[in-house]
Amino acid sequence: MSMWWRYLLLTLQIGCVALLTACGQSEPMRNVRLEQAADHSHRAQRAFERGDYLTAMKRYEAAFELDVALENEEGIAIDALNLARVNQMLGRTEQAHAYLDGLLQDRAIRYADKYLAVAALRKSLLMLEQGDTKVVAAWLDKAVVWCGKDCAVEGAIDNVRAALALREGDAVRAAQWAERAMSETKDSSSLEYANALRYLAEARLMSGEHAVAARVADEVLALDKAMGAPEKIKLDLLLNARVHAGMGDTDEAARFNERASRIRTR
Amino acid sequence: MKLNLYNQRLLNIEQRTRRFMLGALGAMLLVLLLIAVKQDYFVRSTTIYFFAPNAQGLSKGMAVKFIGFKVGSVQDVGMQPNATVRVKVSLDDEYVHLIGLDAKARLIKEALVGESVVEIIPGSQQVRQVTQNSVLEFERGQDASSIAESMAAQLQPILNDMRQITAGINDPKGDIQQTLKNLNQVTGELRETVRQFTQLGVSGNQKLELVHGKLDKALDSVNTNLEVMDRSIPRLVEKADATLDNVQSATADIKRMTAESAGELPSFIHNTNALVQDSQEMMDGAKQSWPFNGWFSRPEAELLPVDGYVPPVKP
Repeated sequence: MSMWWRYLLLTLQIGCVALLTACGQSEPMRNVRLEQAADHSHRAQRAFERGDYLTAMKRYEAAFELDVALENEEGIAIDALNLARVNQMLGRTEQAHAYLDGLLQDRAIRYADKYLAVAALRKSLLMLEQGDTKVVAAWLDKAVVWCGKDCAVEGAIDNVRAALALREGDAVRAAQWAERAMSETKDSSSLEYANALRYLAEARLMSGEHAVAARVADEVLALDKAMGAPEKIKLDLLLNARVHAGMGDTDEAARFNERASRIRTR
Repeated sequence: MKLNLYNQRLLNIEQRTRRFMLGALGAMLLVLLLIAVKQDYFVRSTTIYFFAPNAQGLSKGMAVKFIGFKVGSVQDVGMQPNATVRVKVSLDDEYVHLIGLDAKARLIKEALVGESVVEIIPGSQQVRQVTQNSVLEFERGQDASSIAESMAAQLQPILNDMRQITAGINDPKGDIQQTLKNLNQVTGELRETVRQFTQLGVSGNQKLELVHGKLDKALDSVNTNLEVMDRSIPRLVEKADATLDNVQSATADIKRMTAESAGELPSFIHNTNALVQDSQEMMDGAKQSWPFNGWFSRPEAELLPVDGYVPPVKP
């Protein structure tokens, strides 16, 4: 056997060993309870995605209980934020506030800034829903401070600022925030990009630019259909109806309203 | 001899100059030290923020007080992209534990004429204390001129109302004068009403007697209807009996079928349970072994996406 053959065989043997080692490597072990908590959380997320909020809530509660028992700080933060979201969807605003306050006012555990930023953002959304616009800006400011660089919710923060400006009747500012949110979320989050488009359409409608509003409303309707979000499709159809009513086209507005009324969101 | 004396003087001058220079250097260091102490360079501090709608009355270096004591100073005042003002405050670490996250920063004047300071209004002791980069709520306190303006604005409508009320009382066509006139008329008419009411009582008694007669007739008719029902009910009961018999025989059939399969059911359930358990264990084993472990993703807790849309009006 020549020297070259020997080298080739040796290289093949080393390669095989390396491959087997790589394949045989196992992921770091998690204890059974942590696995259980992660499983509950995973199932809850799937329930949430198909709109079964009650099941999602029960599963997240089970995960939360386990994470609290194990003092899994990251798990506690994620579960509390998710429980706040589910309770918000179920219209249980008080419970949603309680979960967020639990994170934001915890005196014993300091959660990571990225979770506190999301908690502050969710507080601002709840306050905005309740019509308490005075404190919304304060919560958004807190979210910005916690958000820091490379923040995942920066677009959402700008969207809420656009919503706040719309509530205050400032169409110009709302459009500016919405456009900023669009540029931030275009490649990262379809959901927030669609939200930004919707706010932009509303701002244009408020300032009487009906043609632009109609174009943007059409675009966001197509986007939400592609994402398969019935609640958002309904909102888009209603927005289109308002735009056409503003243009004086009452027949088209009535058609959009009729289409919206046919959509069952739950 | 003269040269020696000259050298000696030169040496003295040099020593004096050196002493003077060292003294000046020492004084300079002392001044720098005092400035550093004044600027709180040796105090460990915590930075917090608050956001104000405008920068009026806010300036760098401004004192920050808590229940009357200086606990820090304003480090920076800067404008944000959303046209709000971000104020950076440095708090002495010694006092940080007294300030809760729900405390508020208020811009006030210490006297009618004087410098403005930022006063920290304590929050609840139950709430977590402020930490590095915490954000407090901000409110602008009232100064003397704004209080006077506010009082004047509040008093003006009251004075206007009082003027209108006085004019209204004196106006013969006004509500109060008219009400008094109407009251006089009402007193006269009330007497007449009492008289008519007495008459009404007499006629009411007569009508009640008539109603009593009609009620007697109605009760007779109810009695007749009850007799008819008495005759119908036994027939209905017979039909219900037959229906219940049928239901009973059907239930007996179901019971018999259940009894026949009762012996097989526990073992069937037991076997199914064992089968499911075995399958579960096999799946768990497979999930942990190569190459299947790469096929199944481990469940991880994930944050639900934030939805930053709030409809302007409820659909």
